[in-house]
Amino acid sequence: MKQANLIVLAAGIASMPVVADEQVNQTIDASSDGYVEIFNTSGSIEVTGWSKDSIEITGTLGDSVEELIVERDGNEVLIRVEVPNRHWGDIDADLTIKVPERSSLEVTGVSTDIEIEDVLGEQSLSSVSGDIDTRGVADDVEAESVSGDVDIQGNGNGSFEGATVSGDVMVKGMSGSVDVESVSGDVDVIGGSYEDAYFETVNGDQTFHAELKSGGDLSMESVNGTVDIKFSVPVTSARFDIETFNGSIRNCFGPKPERTSKYSPGLELSFTIGDGDARIEIETLNGSVNVCNAD
Amino acid sequence: MTEQDDKIAIAASQLATEIAPSRDLWPGIEEAIKAPRAPRQTPWYAQAAAVFLLVGASSMVTYSVVKYDESNTPKAQVQQVQIVPTNMIFERAAFGGEHTLESVYGRAAGGVESNLNRELANLSPEARADVQRNLAVIHQAIADISQALEHEPNNGFLQELLVAAYRNELTLMNRIGSMTQRVMARKDI
Repeated sequence: MKQANLIVLAAGIASMPVVADEQVNQTIDASSDGYVEIFNTSGSIEVTGWSKDSIEITGTLGDSVEELIVERDGNEVLIRVEVPNRHWGDIDADLTIKVPERSSLEVTGVSTDIEIEDVLGEQSLSSVSGDIDTRGVADDVEAESVSGDVDIQGNGNGSFEGATVSGDVMVKGMSGSVDVESVSGDVDVIGGSYEDAYFETVNGDQTFHAELKSGGDLSMESVNGTVDIKFSVPVTSARFDIETFNGSIRNCFGPKPERTSKYSPGLELSFTIGDGDARIEIETLNGSVNVCNAD
Repeated sequence: MTEQDDKIAIAASQLATEIAPSRDLWPGIEEAIKAPRAPRQTPWYAQAAAVFLLVGASSMVTYSVVKYDESNTPKAQVQQVQIVPTNMIFERAAFGGEHTLESVYGRAAGGVESNLNRELANLSPEARADVQRNLAVIHQAIADISQALEHEPNNGFLQELLVAAYRNELTLMNRIGSMTQRVMARKDI
């Protein structure tokens, strides 16, 4: 009897209608250097720059997504995945979007992974729990996430800001100014050349393996994270001010660090090489500090 | 005075009244007096400026959050909000002897906290736990710095770190408080 009931139940389930994801395939004309705003609460967003003056949107919408809004007003295009306020079903939308390569972007998500490639205009990227990855960057980028990682790569000259709560931040190969912040994530600036570089973490480790331009400013501040500096082009004119309350200082050039007081474990190291054009300031509470030139 | 006392007094009078040091220490002492080490203590006006800047910046943040909140949140929705307590603890910190940063900071953070609580309720349990875990990391950092300041209350370096830690918390609360609103509030061009 039980076996018969199971068979009936299985047959019933098999005959239930399956709600499939909705497919999206839409194209809209756009300015060659316009402004594109994309909002998607959950899922993924992939944006690629291309040489056409149009925007192509393909992908899938979960069964609980209300609609995909695509609007144009002059130079501005809005792409928004509309979801109900109280959502229990599948609100994921996975979108692949091609935009004119000189577009500027504002991409916002919540549980949304964001990938950008070869978009040459300014970018403002934000996700709560998704990763943010932008390649081929040529202009200013602001990227922030809570638990997702932020990865900014390219060879552009501009202003690059990456901020997370627990995700790691990587900025690679850029030039101009860089500002990276995290509470517990690690922040790394690898390659490239900077006039200004600003790091701030609470527990996250910090790495600067890049060039600090003549007259540039490098500021690194952490409570418990370590600070690792390796100048890819040797610094020949700079003022160094390094202080740690309870960490160690290891430097490959300049004098040795000194105790700040015979009653506390603090160390400080201040010295000038050349005319002192560049300025390097490092402060930690417990993190160790390592400063070297490239091999 | 006994005979024994007399012997001690005579022996004492025969002791040398001056003992020459093994080397002349005066030049080193004189040099140290002439070129005293610069104190690490931050001047009072710098501390006051730091407090003033923090209050100003915090007030602007609070104002912008409240203004944004008023213009974007229907009143009917406000009544449905579930407030999640974050159990924030303002660590007591000596700031320049006379000032306490917690009172200054507490006023600024209070305005941002209600917005943060609402947005935390909108996040997934994992994201909410992550934010709360990292707020705890900042609180621990504030406690560590405050503990160090108890031993060296006028250490300007530690005071700077403490201000930065409070600023980190304010920035985090404000960032979370606006992130999900951005995606929810945007309806059209």
